[in-house]
Amino acid sequence: MSETLQAAEVDATEVEAAEDTVEAEPKTRGSSEDLLVQEGDIAGDYLERLLDLLDYDGDIDLDVEAGRAIVSIDGGEDLEKLVGTRGTVLESLQELTRLAVQQETGVRSRLMLDVAGWRAGRRAELAELGRTTAEKVLSSGERIRLHPMTPFERKVVHDAVAAVAGVHSESEGEEPQRRVVILPQA
Amino acid sequence: MSLLADALEHLVRGIVDHPDDVRVTLVTTRRGRTLEVHVHPDDLGKVIGRGGRTATALRTVMAGIGGRGVRVDVVDTDR
Repeated sequence: MSETLQAAEVDATEVEAAEDTVEAEPKTRGSSEDLLVQEGDIAGDYLERLLDLLDYDGDIDLDVEAGRAIVSIDGGEDLEKLVGTRGTVLESLQELTRLAVQQETGVRSRLMLDVAGWRAGRRAELAELGRTTAEKVLSSGERIRLHPMTPFERKVVHDAVAAVAGVHSESEGEEPQRRVVILPQA
Repeated sequence: MSLLADALEHLVRGIVDHPDDVRVTLVTTRRGRTLEVHVHPDDLGKVIGRGGRTATALRTVMAGIGGRGVRVDVVDTDR
């Protein structure tokens, strides 16, 4: 019973993360491509000025993909500081950038910020971790708890586990110690 | 150090209604260095954010670029 309840209990932050990707399109369908381009421009100015002030080398690339603005910064080693341990600084900088965009457009922004290709690299790593761990759980029949992750990271792992039949995943614990647990299907 | 203050000032200016009222000052006490953020009283809520979320984001970014040991305080200008 409690097992069922736990499974039914959905992680709010991950739902938010899921909505970011899955529901981005329906939600932003009303907003034009122009608004997303504008979002990218505002974010680009905000971040470029930050890089200038810090004297960090970095090129800012703007894109619109799947109904959201994508801002990527690539360049020198200094950028690692803007990623931080497990991407924590990147998450915070994305949050501030979204607020700066909202301040000008008046609309809540869902833009995604990547720095030094961190998200792209991390996504591949985590998907692999989710898949291999799911297979371990499948053959051993025993649950495995992964180390604490950010909502973005957990979302990627949940998605990878969902692609493996016979296992499922949940999240447990409180932020920032919240972690994914992979269990055999009851 | 003024580099950190300038960076923080820029980050805060971008997210408030009264950017011209934003001032960041570096204060050194026995407990260490603190970046004090002064904003228009109407912008306090914006800089702190729901559940302190925005203030936390500002602290996390400053810790990333300034190393640890630099505190960030949002000062209530009414006091």
